[in-house]
Amino acid sequence: MSHGVKRARESADVVAARREKERSKLNAYLELTDDVLARKRASAFTQESFDLTTKLLGLNPELYSIWNYRRLILLNGLFPNLSPEGIFTLLQSELNFTTGALKVHPKVYWIWNHRRWCLANVPPGPDGAPVEKSWKRQMWTRELFIDERMLEADARNFHAWNYRRNILASDPGLRTLQDELTYTKKKIEASFSNFSAWHQRSKVYTALWEEGSSAEDVRKVKDTEFEFVQQALYTDPGDQSAWLYHRWLIGNGEDLPVLKREIAAIEELLSVEPDSKWCLETLVHYKRLLTSRSHMDETELAALKKETNVMLEKLQGIDPKRRIRYQELGM
Amino acid sequence: MDALLIDKHVKYIQSLGENTDDLMYHLTAHLRLNAIYWGLTALFIMGHPEALVKEDVIAFVMSCWDDDEGAFGAHPGHDAHVLPTLSSIQILVMYDEVERADKERLVSYLAARQNPSGSFSGDRWGETDTRFSYITLQALELLGRLDAIDKEKAVAHIRRCKNYDGGFGATEGAESHSGQVFVCTAALTILDRLDEIDQPNLAWWLAERQLPNGGLNGRPEKLEDVCYSFWVLSALSILHKLKWIDSDALIRFILSAQDPDGGGIADRPGDMVDVFHTVFGLCGLSLLGHPDVREINPIYCLPAEIAKKRGLHMNYQVLGKDEA
Ligand SMILES: [Zn+2]
Repeated sequence: MSHGVKRARESADVVAARREKERSKLNAYLELTDDVLARKRASAFTQESFDLTTKLLGLNPELYSIWNYRRLILLNGLFPNLSPEGIFTLLQSELNFTTGALKVHPKVYWIWNHRRWCLANVPPGPDGAPVEKSWKRQMWTRELFIDERMLEADARNFHAWNYRRNILASDPGLRTLQDELTYTKKKIEASFSNFSAWHQRSKVYTALWEEGSSAEDVRKVKDTEFEFVQQALYTDPGDQSAWLYHRWLIGNGEDLPVLKREIAAIEELLSVEPDSKWCLETLVHYKRLLTSRSHMDETELAALKKETNVMLEKLQGIDPKRRIRYQELGM
Repeated sequence: MDALLIDKHVKYIQSLGENTDDLMYHLTAHLRLNAIYWGLTALFIMGHPEALVKEDVIAFVMSCWDDDEGAFGAHPGHDAHVLPTLSSIQILVMYDEVERADKERLVSYLAARQNPSGSFSGDRWGETDTRFSYITLQALELLGRLDAIDKEKAVAHIRRCKNYDGGFGATEGAESHSGQVFVCTAALTILDRLDEIDQPNLAWWLAERQLPNGGLNGRPEKLEDVCYSFWVLSALSILHKLKWIDSDALIRFILSAQDPDGGGIADRPGDMVDVFHTVFGLCGLSLLGHPDVREINPIYCLPAEIAKKRGLHMNYQVLGKDEA
C-alpha cells in the first residue's frame, strides 16, 4: 500500500543499477529475517535473539510476527530474571525504542499495539508509593506527552487519537474531563477544520453529562458551545467539521427554543453568504426537525415544505455532485 | 485518460511475483497473502482469473498455515492472524477449493477471537478493532459456521462504535472513518441487522466524502484517495444510495489514477501504483457499472458470481443494473 509517493518511470538499466546497489542490503535483510524466524521456531528466548529482533524491526516495523516473538522473549526469557524495578526499566527502554519507530512510521498499527502491551505489563510499584508516584502513573504521564507530540506532527492521526482515549481510560486520574475539554479547544482553535478534535470534544461532553448533570447545566454548556462553533462557521462556512459539531449539539431538536434560535442564526449567516451550501443543507435538516417537534397545522406545514423545497432546488444548482440526493429529499 | 487499461492491469498483476530481487518486494512480506487476494480479485473481475497459476497460488496459501495456532499467517513462518486468514479463505473460495483447509481448526481459531464484550481481536495478542469483527464474521460465513459466535454480542459491540454522524469508528469512542463504515455496514449485513444503521444520516455522511475533483475521502476535511472509492461506495451500495454521488466524476478520477505505461492504479493521479489501489479502484468502477469490469459483491469484496453460487448475501446496488 503506497500513499502519496510520486511515480517515477525507471528504465530497465536504472532498475538493474538500483537492484545491484541494493543487493547487499537485500541479502543482509533476508539473512537476518531467516535467522530470526529460525530462532522464533526454536523458541530461543535469549538476549541475543532479543537484540536481533531490535535490528530487524528497525529495518521493518510491519513484521507483526517479530513483535510477537519479541514479547515472548520478554515474558519467557528476560522478565523472569529481573526484579520488578528491572522490569520497569526494561519496559521504559522498550518504549523508547518504539518512540523512535513511531516518529518514522506514525501509522503502523503494530507499533502502537506494542506500546499498549508494554503499559499493560508495568508492575505495581515502587513499594508503598502513592498512586501519583507509581510506575504506572509515571509511564502514562509520559505516554500522554508523547501522544501530544504525535498530534502536533499530524493533528488528524487517528492512531494517536485512539491511543489518547486509551491512555485516558487506562488512568482516569491522569486528566480530568475538564482538562480534556481545554485540550480539544486548543486543538480546534489551532485549526477549525480538525474534525478529530471536535469529535473528541463531543465524546468528552457526553461522558461528563453521563456522570450526572442537570438539564439546566447541559443547556448552559451547550449555549457556550453554540457560541464557540459559530466562530468557526463564520470563519469558513464551507468547512464541514464545525457543521457536524453543530448538528451534534442540536441532536434531534429536543430543545425547541434552541432549535429555533439556531435556525435564525444560520439564516443570518445565509444572508451574508447566500450561496453557502452548508447553510442551506443545515437549514433543510433543521426545518424538517422542526416539523417533527412542533405541532403545525396544514398551512404551516405546506409553507415549510415549500420553503425547504426552494432551498433543495438551489442546492441542486450549487452542489451538483449530490443533485440526486436533493431531488429525493424534495419528493 | 478515459479508457480502462485492462490488459496493462492484468500484466501488472502478473508481474508482481517477479520482483523477488527487489528489496521492496521483501519488505512487504507481511502483506503477501492479502496482496495475492487483492490481485486475484482484480483478475477475476477483469475476466482473467487464469492469469495466475492456480496450483502455485494454492500451494503458497497452504504454506502460510500456522499449525501451532490453526490459522493462516501472512507469509510462511509468520504467526496466525485474522487478516491473512480471511484472505486465504477468500482465495480458496474463489478457486472453489475451500475443502483443502482444516475447517474445524479454522472455526475454533476464529470463534476464539470474540471477546466477552462482543468485540473481536485480530490474534491472541488482543488488539480489537471493528475490522476484526467484520473479518471474523465473513470468514465464518464463508465456512458456513456463523453459529460459532455470539451474534447478539457482536451486534452490540458494533452499535457501541456508532457515532452521531451515522458513521462507525475502530473502537468505542473512535472517530467515524469510511474504512470502518464499510466493515461495520458489511458486518451488519452478514448478521442481517441493517436496522442498526441510521441510514439517512450515514448515506448523507458518505455522500459528503466526494470532493470537487470527483475523488472520495475517508473523513471530513481530508484528501481524496482511490481506495476510498471502495470503502465509501461499498457502504453506499449496501444502502442502495450510489446515486447520491456523482458517478461520472468518480469514474474519471479513478481512471486518471491509472499508470498508462506499466499498468496498475495509484492512490492519486501521478503517484506510484500498487495492487491494493488497483483492486479497490476496479471494485469502485464495478459498482458504478463500468462495462469492462464484472460485478463485485461489496459485502465480501468477492466476485458476484462466486458469492451467488455459494448462497451469500446479495442485497446491494450496482449502477446500471436492474435500476429504473
Ligand atoms: Zn489509499
